[in-house]
Amino acid sequence: MHIADGVLSGSVLATGAAIAAVGVGIGLSKLNPQHVPRAAVLSSAFFVASLVHVPLGVGSVHLILNGLTGLALGWGAFPAIFVGLLLQAVLFGFGGLTVLGVNTITMAFPAVCCYALFRKAMKASQGYRTFAAGFLAGAGAVALSGLLTGLALAASGKAFYVAAATLLAAHVPVMLIEGFVTGAAVTFLVKVRPEVFYVPARGPCCEESACV
Amino acid sequence: MCNRISYVVWAALVCGWLCWTPEAHAHKMKLFAAVEGDTITGYAYFPGGGKAKHVKVTVRGPNGEAFGEVTTDDEGAFSFQARSRTDHVLTSESEDGHGATYTVAASELPESLPGMTVTAGGEVSTPAAAAPPPDNPAQTPPATPPVEVVERAVAAQIRPLREQLQHYEDLIRFRDVLGGIGYIVGVMGLISFLKTKKRAKDR
Repeated sequence: MHIADGVLSGSVLATGAAIAAVGVGIGLSKLNPQHVPRAAVLSSAFFVASLVHVPLGVGSVHLILNGLTGLALGWGAFPAIFVGLLLQAVLFGFGGLTVLGVNTITMAFPAVCCYALFRKAMKASQGYRTFAAGFLAGAGAVALSGLLTGLALAASGKAFYVAAATLLAAHVPVMLIEGFVTGAAVTFLVKVRPEVFYVPARGPCCEESACV
Repeated sequence: MCNRISYVVWAALVCGWLCWTPEAHAHKMKLFAAVEGDTITGYAYFPGGGKAKHVKVTVRGPNGEAFGEVTTDDEGAFSFQARSRTDHVLTSESEDGHGATYTVAASELPESLPGMTVTAGGEVSTPAAAAPPPDNPAQTPPATPPVEVVERAVAAQIRPLREQLQHYEDLIRFRDVLGGIGYIVGVMGLISFLKTKKRAKDR
């Protein structure tokens, strides 16, 4: 899912960097100081998840965890994913510094979408429904990331259909595994640490809208 | 009680899945190339994930002039006949946005090749002049095998070593992962610090 340096055109890179900067700005301004440790944990999880590879078929796959990051952080997923991607690029040559903006959007935007779509469903439900919401968020985030990556490649003059089909076909197992892992993580966290997804009980001043 | 057991099972499943990795590798494309005689041979691969099959590899000169294009075979391997003794920049790119670059330095190519090349457009490009080192025939004993034979043999000998070096570079080291997590903690600590400072000011 990480696009490499030198693949995209200059205008796509510049647009990506600008949009990502806005996203990170919104994320930082919406990040409640109390939730910064949570963002750190999810950023670390995102950073490590892409490094852990499981051989599957001809290639190997890795988790992305952007769905889970989005469910827990909302817009805060932008800075969390940006930091994770920056370190992956600097330390391991994943993606690259020039494509950092585009890669941030392709992974953080689906995270924010998951937050908007599934957080309410997840909160209002219990048991297997929570798992289902988590599964859909995890799998959906990967699928949307694949589509956005395909779009970024298409905007740089690559064949969109080929890029998107290659990416999505390669990521079907990732979507299933990611859905399963996100569903399991969400079910587990809702039971043992519900405050990861809910507002901590700190009195009426801390409504959900203010604490995102 | 039953619920508690189910948490433990979930946690064990997730942890077990995350830990079940024989080796940790980066998910990116890489190129390896070496010179055999006047031919550049190499392969494209995904570290830890096998070879990159049927991927286009573009060969360019030091100034970006196109020398040619090859496609990797079923084993991810390719070969390219060098026609000039200049830096060869190999670039591979897959359809899903993975890419890699590898430069074969002019000094690795045999001295028998011309140091200047004419590109397809008829334009003469003069890459960094590969001046042959001053030969001192008096010091060369007559029984020495030709330089090319020696070069070829040495290249074949050091190729596995170079491959090993590159694969060693591809490995993700635990200390780097820990360092990355440390950076994240630091960055988030900084954000937290700045935010609380701002809050204190606002009050």
